[in-house]
Amino acid sequence: MIQNLVDGVLVGSVLSLGAVGLTMVMHMLRFANFSHAELLSIGAYSALVFDALFSAMMPPLTAAIGPLSMTWALALSVVFSLVITGLSALLIDRLVFKRVREKGSELSMVFASFGVAMIIRNVVGLIFGLGTHLYSKDIVFAVVLSRDPLLLVKPDQVFTLVAALLIMLIMHFVLSRTTLGYSLRAVAENPTLAQVNGIRLSHMIALVWLVGGGLAAVAGIFYGLSNQISPMIGRDLVLPIFAATIVGGIGSIYGAVLGGFIVGISASLALAILPSGYSPSMPFLIILAVLLIRPNGLFGEEQT
Amino acid sequence: MKMGSKHITGLALGLTVSAFGSAAMASDCTTKIGTVLPTSVDWGRPIAETAGFAVEQVNEAGGVQGCEIEMVLRDSQVDPKVGVDAAKALVDLDGVQVLIGAVSSGVSMPILTSVTVPAGVAQFSCCSSSGAFTTLAEEGGTNGLWFRTFATSGVQAAVGAKVAKDQGYGSIAILYKNDDWGQDISKLIAEDLVDMGITVTASVAINDGQPSYRAEVTEALGGQPEAIYMALYPNEGASVVREWLSLGGTQNMVMANSLKSDEFRDNVGLQYLGNALGTDTASPRVASADAFVASYKERFESEPNGPGLSNSYDATMIALLAMEAAGKDATGAEIAASVSRVTDPAGTPVSADAAGFAAAREALTAGGSVMYQGATGNVRFDANGDVSAPAVVWSFTETGTQEKQYVTLQEVDALMMGD
Repeated sequence: MIQNLVDGVLVGSVLSLGAVGLTMVMHMLRFANFSHAELLSIGAYSALVFDALFSAMMPPLTAAIGPLSMTWALALSVVFSLVITGLSALLIDRLVFKRVREKGSELSMVFASFGVAMIIRNVVGLIFGLGTHLYSKDIVFAVVLSRDPLLLVKPDQVFTLVAALLIMLIMHFVLSRTTLGYSLRAVAENPTLAQVNGIRLSHMIALVWLVGGGLAAVAGIFYGLSNQISPMIGRDLVLPIFAATIVGGIGSIYGAVLGGFIVGISASLALAILPSGYSPSMPFLIILAVLLIRPNGLFGEEQT
Repeated sequence: MKMGSKHITGLALGLTVSAFGSAAMASDCTTKIGTVLPTSVDWGRPIAETAGFAVEQVNEAGGVQGCEIEMVLRDSQVDPKVGVDAAKALVDLDGVQVLIGAVSSGVSMPILTSVTVPAGVAQFSCCSSSGAFTTLAEEGGTNGLWFRTFATSGVQAAVGAKVAKDQGYGSIAILYKNDDWGQDISKLIAEDLVDMGITVTASVAINDGQPSYRAEVTEALGGQPEAIYMALYPNEGASVVREWLSLGGTQNMVMANSLKSDEFRDNVGLQYLGNALGTDTASPRVASADAFVASYKERFESEPNGPGLSNSYDATMIALLAMEAAGKDATGAEIAASVSRVTDPAGTPVSADAAGFAAAREALTAGGSVMYQGATGNVRFDANGDVSAPAVVWSFTETGTQEKQYVTLQEVDALMMGD
């Protein structure tokens, strides 16, 4: 039971990172972006490319960091992947969403996002093949924290959790203490009023995509570290991430963080009660329950 | 533009009159048998041609009950609807009492339930493997009219359990893919393991595309099994095994043939798979199987390497032998009831060729029974019309897999009977 709880927290940290980006985009641009999870895929694969590149150019970087399976080369790749994914998100907005936004309705945006998701997924499959990749073929063994009750934790997962929490903390400070953060929140709250106050809407939208893409890249890489990388990452993660966003309440960054953990923990705990085949249904049950009880999510406010 | 039907008549009748005196009578009458096979797909055509090959040989030996056999072939297009229409036409218009087909379980099943069983026609399939047929037969839904020469998942489950026992594992956790096949095989192996006195500590369903398999793996780990059995596909299989190993799970593994994949080996790492043994069904290593390969090569000038060829040959040959045993103008039910008489382990052994068919006719006329020694070995159906097959136990190597052990048909049968 304790093990399930811990496992859930660790899975939840990846979902949270993805959900934070999604909730920002959804709140500011007011559409359900089904292609957001594909950004995780872009992040994971670009890190794979940079990792191979750095390892080949600078062999000393292939040493693992402490007890982690992450190498220095991969750590460096995270930074590059972050930028690439952020820019990809921006590019997709320029090419697709911006045009649809100017002409179509919110529903057109949702359909466009489905299309974008398909395209990204298949392009990734075309380039890298449909098989799975791994950052490291070594298996890092879990550390036994306690024998009774049995509690095992992998160093990678602890690192993922700590890093995710750190990133969220930084996000919190940026949003609550800086002018940039105020501007972002103002635009999310009321775009027209924000513009009246001299905030450039287009800049803010670009910023949201950059930040959302960057967070997605980190989530994708962390996912790849503890699982494996395949072109189906987006398809597999889109619903849990949506569930986390909806549970937390669209637009609430703290809600998204909490939502990620709730979805992760409940899917993990569900196994203790339900037969193992039913665990994928948990995110949906949570979405339904939250929407029935608190239609705007746990932290959500009614949008005007 | 595929032809709807194709008539294969005895080619070499005149040529063999000297060898088989009864051949002269064969031209007096013809008996039709129906065939519904996916001739419009590249792997389906050889299956149909092999069935036709069996018919040729039987006609060479003078046909069934003195009548030449006419095989009416219809294309199923691997489509249940097309297959059912084809089977209906064969049964209603051509009046066949024996139907050979289909390949896919999804086509064979609707033909069985909506055409052959209602009409009382005997159906022989070369290649359908679904466990649903066994279930249907157990429930009495096939009226004993259904036979297949393709081994079910039961073979792999039985051999998997044997491997576990031979390795001396006292307890096993089962991890299975959450689909028809995985559920089927996990139930079968769980029963087999328990029968062998091995404790099944957990049976965990694995859905593909999950963000993490930790919870599932943790559940399997909970019972602290000495080994794991995996009926998984390579993709999620690699994720699950990596998670399993990293959490300190045992490296004692038994795997179904689905994990016989380089991707799986590479992503897990050969160093962790030293104690991993896989199972798979195999073609028999008996003289009759070699004889089929030789005669096939002579007839088609290629190796019988496609899927289901030997199975198709045996399905057709057994159907024709059963027709011979059932007597003139026998109904489908009578033919189906005669199958046990031509696959009788205590009967006169007959080979899978024209001479064998002639010998079988002699033995059957004398009131005896025969043991058909076919392309897939000495075929024997159980009460549900299922057969077993020989199996191999394999392990991973640097370059692929290697065979560790060959389990003969007799051994597999003994294992399956032990259930």
